[in-house]
Amino acid sequence: MDKNKIIGVFDDEEDVVKCMKKMLENNIKITEVYSPYPVHEILELKKSKSILTIVAFIYGILAALLVLSFLYYTSVISWPLNYGGKPSSAFPSFIVITVVLTIFSVTILSLFTFSVRAKVWPGQDDMVIDERATDDKFVIYIEKYEGLDEQKLTNIFNEFSPSEIYEK
Amino acid sequence: MYKSQVRGPLVLGNKTLGQISKDITAPLYATVPNWWKIGFALASLFTALGLWAIYVTVSQGIGTWGVNNSVGWGWAIINFVWWIGIGHAGTAFSIFLLILRQKWRTSINRAAEAMTVVAVGCAALFPALHMGRVWLAFYIIPYPNTRGPLWVNYNSPLFWDFIAISAYLLISLSFWYLGMIPDFATIRDTTTSKTKKAIYGFLAMGWNGSTYHWTRFESLSKVLGGIAAVLVVSVHSIVSTDFAVSVIPGWHTTLFPPYFVVGAIFSGFAMVMTLMVIIRKLFKFQEYITDSHLNAVSKILIFISLIMGTAYLTEIFVAWYSGNPFEMFTFFHNRITGEYTFQFWAMFVCNAIIPQLLWSKKIRANLKIVFIISIIINIGMWYERFNIVVTSLANDYLPSNWAAYQPSFVEICLYLGTIGLFATGVLLFFRYVPMIAISEVKSVLKFGNEKPKKKGAHDGQE
Repeated sequence: MDKNKIIGVFDDEEDVVKCMKKMLENNIKITEVYSPYPVHEILELKKSKSILTIVAFIYGILAALLVLSFLYYTSVISWPLNYGGKPSSAFPSFIVITVVLTIFSVTILSLFTFSVRAKVWPGQDDMVIDERATDDKFVIYIEKYEGLDEQKLTNIFNEFSPSEIYEK
Repeated sequence: MYKSQVRGPLVLGNKTLGQISKDITAPLYATVPNWWKIGFALASLFTALGLWAIYVTVSQGIGTWGVNNSVGWGWAIINFVWWIGIGHAGTAFSIFLLILRQKWRTSINRAAEAMTVVAVGCAALFPALHMGRVWLAFYIIPYPNTRGPLWVNYNSPLFWDFIAISAYLLISLSFWYLGMIPDFATIRDTTTSKTKKAIYGFLAMGWNGSTYHWTRFESLSKVLGGIAAVLVVSVHSIVSTDFAVSVIPGWHTTLFPPYFVVGAIFSGFAMVMTLMVIIRKLFKFQEYITDSHLNAVSKILIFISLIMGTAYLTEIFVAWYSGNPFEMFTFFHNRITGEYTFQFWAMFVCNAIIPQLLWSKKIRANLKIVFIISIIINIGMWYERFNIVVTSLANDYLPSNWAAYQPSFVEICLYLGTIGLFATGVLLFFRYVPMIAISEVKSVLKFGNEKPKKKGAHDGQE
């Protein structure tokens, strides 16, 4: 099989950030960057964004409405019970349970969304590019594409003292 | 970014990233130490005792407990509130300190979260058993049923409690597990053992540390963190409303929700302290759980202790100020003096007075004393719950209702059983899971340190 992956391995996050900046200046497409811990500069440079927070907020609104209508349905329509003459539709005392049930639902839905979107799932193939990336190395992975100047790429890599560059 | 000039380095000993993985995963590879075997045997023994107590309770009923018509809530509810309180630390640690961007949480949060999960599990056992017919526990779940359909009472704090605790267990468990995914991947990629690779590889669920993963990981942490912060406050507020919405003297007070939440965090942090001192000692993690970490926890303990003291005094003041003779009776003739004097003063001294010793820098630096104080706080918090539950119920409005309460042997065994269960869980955690969040500690390695050594060799576990 042709080697179509170019992998640069670094020891320090700062070198990676600088290297990525240089690559972006030279219009080199970075396929993916792997790091043992989240480095916000890297995430920003990679323009990796997630809308999970917004999605969770929408889940929250929907869940709250759903919970409130469920409470209304069960305690007013389906089987109203008389607790010492108190009103069946007791909105103020529904608030606590609505908050808690909303949290419950948002947790489950967000976890599920994360699993599906991030592809973190039991039995998921890990697709590890370089095993050291979860330990102590920062890895820039570039998949060869048409028009990629490999010499230039290697030069950029070498500028930032990588511990290793190899093809796979 | 602003760098604190006050706090020293968070990780000592000029570690490299590779060394961090190696140090923290070391207990997973070490041969089982003797103290672990003995501890595990003891914990299992206690758990077995608890299982026996559960068997007796379920097969014969609540009559095997010391509770009676007046004191309907005995040790079971005391222990329930106590465990839930302890279970508040993990999330409080991870979430509040995450939101406040306190980097020093990174070495401690994993153990605190593990503790939370086990403690909440122990807590959930008590109300379930207290139902009497535990096999009908599912009646509390609102679902279309053949009993009418008869729905649950949504206005009851007891139902809120059920949902809040289930949600809390779910969210603590997921937050804990989420944090461990990158660490499981680290173990998967550094281990040389095939079995470990397969097991931790499965647990890591395909994690590879890409920006794609980290972005989503951080987003989910933010979401879970945000909603769990609400939950930390609401769970114990709801537990307190179990008491506060009743008209029992000593319970019927608006002070209860904040008082319970703060109390919960207090006992939780004390338990974290107990555990951290042990972990640090047994696994020689001094370079990760530094003196400065424990110092910070101690300072939080003093602060919360002051709030606790204020809460106790406020309760007493309001009992007097309200002019309500029943409140006066409960506080002045039942707690401060009278039948339950010992429990009241044990609570007051253990929670409000002894922790004040931590003002002294010398005492904070002496881990033996800090360890003892943390245990004392846990005992004090147990007495606080005893004080609340038993004194109010034993002597309420009608003297003809008054009854004494003594726990039965089964109740005591049940409590010891949960302690055994907790210890079993913690010991398993010591053995099979990285005790410190590897990836998070790596991210704060540079904090207060010089640049980590260049060319850290990647050497797997031999």
